[in-house]
Amino acid sequence: MSDFLQLVFQGLGIGAIYALVSLGFVLLIRAASVVNFGQGEFSMLGAYLLVVFFNILGINYFFGIGLSVIIMAGFGLIFAYATYWPLRFRGGLPVIISTIGASIFLQNMVLWIYGPSTVPIDGLFDSDGFQIGEVFISSQYLAIIVIAAALVLLQYVIFEKTLLGKKLQATSQDKEMASLLGIPVVIMIMITFAYSAALGGLAGILVAPILFVSVGMAGIITLKAFAANIIGGYGSIPGAILGGLALGIAETLGANYISVPYKDAFAFLMLLAFLMVRPQGLFGEKISEKA
Amino acid sequence: MTVLSGQGLHGPGANPWRGLPQAVLAIVVVVIGARFAPAQGYYLNILMQAATYAIGVLGLVIVLGYCGQISIAQAAFFGIGAYAVALGTVDFHINFFVALFIGVALSGLCGLILGLGTLRLGGHYLGMITISFQQILTLVLTNWIEFTHGPDGVRNVARPMLFGFSFDDGNTYLALILAAAVMVTLFVWRLKASRLGRAMQAVRDNELAASTSGINVYGTKVVAFGISAVLGAIGGGLFAGGFRYISPDQFSFGESIVLLTMALLGGVTSPFGALVGTVSLVLLPEWLRFLKQVYLAVYGASVILIMVFLPDGLWGFVDNRMRRRVKPVTGDVPPLPLLAQSGEATEEPVLVVEELAKHFGGLKAVDGVSLTVRRGTVHALIGPNGSGKTTFINVVTGLYEATGGKITFVGRDITTLAPHNRNRAGLARTYQNIRVFRGMTVLENVMIGAERQGNDVAHDPQAVVARALAALDFVEMRGDAHRLVGDLSYGHQRYVEIARALASSPHTLLLDEPAAGLNLTEKVELGNLLKRLKGHGLTIMIIDHDMNLVEQVADHITVLNFGKRIADGKPQDVLSHPDVIAAYLGEPRKHEAA
Amino acid sequence: MKLLEIKGLTASYGAGPVLKGLDISVDEGEIVTLLGSNGAGKSTTLRSLSGLVPNVSGEILYRGQSIKGLKPEAIVRLGISHVPEGRRIFPGLTVRENIILGASNRKGVARRVLEGEVDEMLAFFADLKRLEHALGWTLSGGQLQMVAVARGLMAQPKLLLLDEPSLGLAPLIVQQVFRIVESIRSRGTTVLLVEQNAHMALSVADRGYVLETGTLLVSGKPEALWNNPQVRAAYLGGGGAHR
Repeated sequence: MSDFLQLVFQGLGIGAIYALVSLGFVLLIRAASVVNFGQGEFSMLGAYLLVVFFNILGINYFFGIGLSVIIMAGFGLIFAYATYWPLRFRGGLPVIISTIGASIFLQNMVLWIYGPSTVPIDGLFDSDGFQIGEVFISSQYLAIIVIAAALVLLQYVIFEKTLLGKKLQATSQDKEMASLLGIPVVIMIMITFAYSAALGGLAGILVAPILFVSVGMAGIITLKAFAANIIGGYGSIPGAILGGLALGIAETLGANYISVPYKDAFAFLMLLAFLMVRPQGLFGEKISEKA
Repeated sequence: MTVLSGQGLHGPGANPWRGLPQAVLAIVVVVIGARFAPAQGYYLNILMQAATYAIGVLGLVIVLGYCGQISIAQAAFFGIGAYAVALGTVDFHINFFVALFIGVALSGLCGLILGLGTLRLGGHYLGMITISFQQILTLVLTNWIEFTHGPDGVRNVARPMLFGFSFDDGNTYLALILAAAVMVTLFVWRLKASRLGRAMQAVRDNELAASTSGINVYGTKVVAFGISAVLGAIGGGLFAGGFRYISPDQFSFGESIVLLTMALLGGVTSPFGALVGTVSLVLLPEWLRFLKQVYLAVYGASVILIMVFLPDGLWGFVDNRMRRRVKPVTGDVPPLPLLAQSGEATEEPVLVVEELAKHFGGLKAVDGVSLTVRRGTVHALIGPNGSGKTTFINVVTGLYEATGGKITFVGRDITTLAPHNRNRAGLARTYQNIRVFRGMTVLENVMIGAERQGNDVAHDPQAVVARALAALDFVEMRGDAHRLVGDLSYGHQRYVEIARALASSPHTLLLDEPAAGLNLTEKVELGNLLKRLKGHGLTIMIIDHDMNLVEQVADHITVLNFGKRIADGKPQDVLSHPDVIAAYLGEPRKHEAA
Repeated sequence: MKLLEIKGLTASYGAGPVLKGLDISVDEGEIVTLLGSNGAGKSTTLRSLSGLVPNVSGEILYRGQSIKGLKPEAIVRLGISHVPEGRRIFPGLTVRENIILGASNRKGVARRVLEGEVDEMLAFFADLKRLEHALGWTLSGGQLQMVAVARGLMAQPKLLLLDEPSLGLAPLIVQQVFRIVESIRSRGTTVLLVEQNAHMALSVADRGYVLETGTLLVSGKPEALWNNPQVRAAYLGGGGAHR
């Protein structure tokens, strides 16, 4: 039983990572109708920035995190300008392909600069964790769960309770009409990308002590975050969270009780099952096209 | 997505074997060239890679370019073909072609299962499910070591023997795969101007309109995806024989993206675009190799630049410039034989709707409506906005499932029939918000109507064109036959939509607000058009808010309010009915009588 | 006083010009209508005024100042509100949310004040009250038009640009829409109205302009337009009077 609880906690921690990355996805989908395949590279870049500030330059860890997140926000603007802005009137697919191009570009630039080796980095706390009964609570995982929960709440409040959130949604649904109402469309899109990149960077920084920093660190996480997003319900914030957590727990248990090599397959099998049986996901709504 | 179309458009007198001699010639030239060209080592590999990839990319042209469905697993299907050939020849010692066939069949089967599972839903579901499939396949190839040899891959893949002739030599094998690539290219090119190809493009441009034009949308999508999986496996099988060594990383998610990028770079709606895109992206990394470590980064950046600056791909760029030289269609076309029966209005009921209901959750959009439309009459359906008129038409044409009630059309119960089958039974419609196939020409749009299954001309390609042109004559739009519908004005698109319906020789035509957005003079013209149609024996049901038009053309009026029928009868009786005035007409104001 | 003056307006979307040297003026407190067939350039005129057409030349003066080349966000801040063709209600937002976003051009107004104004709008358009929390995509054509007008009025415009408000609406609702147009004017807002329904448009308008392929065919008082044989033949259905 204690083994099981331990696995569930670990699964929750991993799930929280998926949820965190997934949040950035959802934001771009809801506020800019963009499916961003470069989301994982935001995480990778964020982690490398912290490596530069903390490991190399020796800046204070938490100050380094702050700097990295701010730089990532700025980077989000550049990303938007290069991959999204020129293609904004051309529908979903060209933007998807261009974010894929950006992802290839960023991975290989970092590879060129840092090489293929993985870099270890310190966690948020000096202590590794503590024991509750027979379950060991890792402090980094706990922090991820708490921060993910806080960010979810923040994002939910912004989208559902504030005028800013409504303006972001309006921009996503009809840019021209939004501009006719006086909504500064460019600023809305900039906010979206900056926040999404900052969020991605923070996710990367939080998982870096667990996975170590490498060029490929975020590739599979991004795909799974995407899967979490579908399982939870495409574009739904609570869905992204539950989908992420469910995925994390399922694959941790699956790896332990069924097969380690196929650990990564559980996420995608779950996704296949959902797409076949309940394609709208846990929280998605079936929207039928008005004829 | 931007779309192109127009190659290989049938003119009147099209010959299905047109281009065959040239095709044979092309294959012969390619084969001889490949067999005796001094391509060695490095160049041989590049050519083999380009030719086998091209076959896979051509599959994407069909599923994405023609049919508009996103597949991100082409490398997986490519891998299934490759592994079938590799494991078949190395471990099981079976004939190359038998192994290839097994791979193709397996891949087609996987495509079918995935397609059947998700293509009923619209949107990006296929894209998502293919990503999962891709990942799972990669994991299986890597981890099922006893069967797949795991990450080490499979070595010494055999090249084929055919009737005692060996393809073992590099140049000979190259000739084989180039010939295959040419044949697949021609197949994909011919497909575009075929009935199936037009159906795919119609599905891409507008699923709802395709379904009510007699196209089995779900079936067409599954077929497109299935063909694309088959082509992927053919490319992969030939690839395995060419390189004689394969490993799981050659068929990963990243490679699927490469194949997708090739298709988009070249121009996804044309097979020639696929070739151009494949060759460019096979060569681009080779050209960039002098950049050493950064070459992949430059490659990534190039992908973005291509998306930004070449929206229709490399081929689209060329094609857009050639398109200007399309000749208008000339020559005599027989008048449109709309219907066989006489133009007399009779008492015979054509469309009988009994107690029809459609509920959306708690909302009763249509609540027990009955009406009878009689042959050769114009039946108007009017009522306030949101009273259920369009929902009623959507249920009658099968876009929505009825919650209750019965629909009988020409004596046949069609209540549970799929939309395309209702159309095939002779029920055609137009839409309130015009639904045309924007990426296709005016003529192609109308041909879709003419070739609906069950139409008298459907099996004769020449007659389909003639019927389409006759329908365009009827709405006086033949001069625009070769223009893209998306380039036309709103009013003209409406006429194309009507012509598409007319070309299918329907028994009954349902028109949803045809007069919306027309000025008074145009409305008078529309009224005359409807009268001419009635004169030809067509039965018409019309929804419109313009009472002048309705009074001018209607023989019978039904009024809905809150989903219920509140009046039904002759125009003069219905329009003076106090309930109708209160709910719908209001009191005419003095000014209007000016 | 001239609220809006357009001189020699030319506009194009890349292909050929859609407007070719158009002159239009609107006085404060007027209802002015633009008539003409599809493709005559009526909607393009409105889109040029609100900054949606990138290639315009000529002069657009609003209260004597040029607004040519300004972005849509800037123009609506000056008090020109555009209710476009097709209503363009945000499908995923509720009626209430759609309406409150109409005030996005007004800076520094407290959310509480805006919510109060939305309540007034919901009271004014009585049918909307019960739909307050319905999502945009669930509404019928008439409801969409009411929300679109309410949203346009939240900008507190001096000049309201209304594009085909009667399109696809039942006769009773059309009458209601035109009553609302008149009441908007009585609140002190000037209206520039594009319409296919010439009967109704001319019954509420002070003056009308008839456009043909991007140029001005004729302009004048409603009665003058009614009696112009050229206009009757081309746009008013020719022949005798209708109901």
